[in-house]
Amino acid sequence: MDSVKEILKKALEEGRRKLLEHEAYAVAEAYRLPVPRYGLVRDPDEAARLSKEIGFPVVLKIVSPDITHKSDVGGVILDIRSEEDAKKAFNKIMENVRRYAPNARIAGVLVQEMVPSDVEVIVGATRDPVFGPLLMFGLGGIFVEVLRDVSFRLAPVTPIDAEEMIREIKAYNVLEGYRGKPPRDIEALKDIIMKTSQLMLENPEIQDIDLNPIMAFERGKGAKVADIRIILKG
Amino acid sequence: MADLKKLFYPSSIAVVGASRNPKKIGHLILKNLIEYGYKSRIYPVNPAADEVLGLKAYPSVSSIPEPVDVVVVSVPAPKVPEVIEDAGKAGAKFAVIISSGFKEVGNVELEKKVVETARKYGMRVLGPNIFGYVYTPSRINATFGPRDVIPGGVAFITQSGALGIALMGTTIMEGIGVSAIISIGNKADLDDADFLEFFENDPNTNIVLIYLEGITNGRRFVEAASRVTIKKPIVVIKSGRTEAGARAAASHTGSLAGNIAFYETAFKQSGILFAKSVEEAFDWVKALTWNPLPNSDRIVVITNGGGAGVQASDTLADNGLLLQKPPKNLVEEIRKFVPPFASLANPIDLTGMAPTDWYYKAVYAALNDPDVDSIVVLYCHTALTHPVEVADAIMNAVKDSGGLKKPMTVALIGGVEAYEGIKKLTQAKIPAYPTPERAAAAMAAIHRYVKYREYVTKRLSYLGGS
Repeated sequence: MDSVKEILKKALEEGRRKLLEHEAYAVAEAYRLPVPRYGLVRDPDEAARLSKEIGFPVVLKIVSPDITHKSDVGGVILDIRSEEDAKKAFNKIMENVRRYAPNARIAGVLVQEMVPSDVEVIVGATRDPVFGPLLMFGLGGIFVEVLRDVSFRLAPVTPIDAEEMIREIKAYNVLEGYRGKPPRDIEALKDIIMKTSQLMLENPEIQDIDLNPIMAFERGKGAKVADIRIILKG
Repeated sequence: MADLKKLFYPSSIAVVGASRNPKKIGHLILKNLIEYGYKSRIYPVNPAADEVLGLKAYPSVSSIPEPVDVVVVSVPAPKVPEVIEDAGKAGAKFAVIISSGFKEVGNVELEKKVVETARKYGMRVLGPNIFGYVYTPSRINATFGPRDVIPGGVAFITQSGALGIALMGTTIMEGIGVSAIISIGNKADLDDADFLEFFENDPNTNIVLIYLEGITNGRRFVEAASRVTIKKPIVVIKSGRTEAGARAAASHTGSLAGNIAFYETAFKQSGILFAKSVEEAFDWVKALTWNPLPNSDRIVVITNGGGAGVQASDTLADNGLLLQKPPKNLVEEIRKFVPPFASLANPIDLTGMAPTDWYYKAVYAALNDPDVDSIVVLYCHTALTHPVEVADAIMNAVKDSGGLKKPMTVALIGGVEAYEGIKKLTQAKIPAYPTPERAAAAMAAIHRYVKYREYVTKRLSYLGGS
């Protein structure tokens, strides 16, 4: 886990509380969380090459410590299906960012496997001075935003806890399969919760983690983190 | 881990600030200590008196001819450090600091000084800002609360002072026997987890009740509470239950996880029964301290009225307990004496014409049926019977079955007579309540505890094994 400590140290030294997206993926990857294939590129040719290597379709996103809402500055382009489009997308993103966020420092552009849409879930963690890390689970979108239908457990989260966390939410039936939809891969979700618990326990520098959304595929097909946010302690 | 043995089984107790004025707290504590019947040596400390309440008084702890185990301190806050210094030097093991005027009013430094002084001499501190402590097996009542606490199995830890003293009185009124009452106050040194560790292995305690305002080390609390849960239930009342969740946070998770979410989660993971009110907590405590645990969830409700039965079964259902068909043998047994129109599904309705004798027979049959795991008995006061007689019938059924071998709760619903019946059952340690919902909810708490215990056992064995 030296790579994780390196990443956290670098961010703290540079006074950044939020990890850049490729850093956050690297941290998650080190804990064998299912993250999309990704890489950071700095020119259009590199973008094309990496896109092909990852396999189409891909997503390109701006990586900058100064940009919080990437879409607002035209910093995200989805569903790129050819090397030619990857080059164009790279140039378009750079042009947009230069126009809408001219002073932003730019670390590069993230090329990321496009995770197919499916049932969205969220796994999160936050750290409390009294209780230590707390893990959260819920279904994505309206379930968490409006209904606050989430469950919590303190770390360390055991398989027994993870199972109960998932069953405890009111919308659990959605995961069991409804209207002819096959059940989701609950084991994969349990695994993500427990690995996130481990990640929090071993890295006290981390304040919060959001894995949001995670695409929950049907049973046997796993799950994949589609977006990630890691906040360090201030 | 703190060794609290000498706090609960001291060879001697000194009371510093043992005034001759019967209105002073130090005087009241000394009086309770003497009158409740503490059998070992008691030393009043009062430089201005030769004698207090018939006992020889000493000017200081260090002038007592032996090292004392426990020093109860009731002097004004600024004088506490010198008392602790003197007691520490004299080899005292525990300081129980009643005095207020410390962290709770912003005097953080004074409190720190007290704890540091105590530490220097290896002395542990309970308090400050407390009303004292009780341990009935040693006949210790070192509080200025009510004197005649009933000995029993409940250990009560309270962070609130005034409410704590009041609840001490409630235990007496409700007939609830206690092993210990700990006013924990500012928790400058000893905290909830230290006491949980003691009660975990205390043979005199079969349930722990906590009135909690806040804790400082959540992980340690969860660990200690989990170990207790495996052996005996913990019921918690937490102040500030409704604190709004939204915190300013940089993440989604951070903003959704309000302070209370941490407490609720900690309670759940350590198998703590989280009561929403004082009433609920005492209802559950009575049910848990007097009853054995059920083998499974086959609950039978016996009633003389349909309405009460429905209220109870709804309450059970709210708690995830669905009534099943009663065992055939039990139905056949009851069929022998009830009218043919009686509904003997679950709830078993003895009908409004049920005389006390039917209650005896039905309860006796249910107590002795191996396919019944627990029993909720409901009685609506009618002109045909007197609640006290029904209470007697239930008590006799229990007695003739050789005591409670499965859990039972009772509701006697009605007026003043029903209240008399409840009192009678309570004295016989059969948990009784004035409404069907409370009897059912108390039973649900027993069944919930069994589930929690199973969960925590599995969880701890996983953590221990990995």
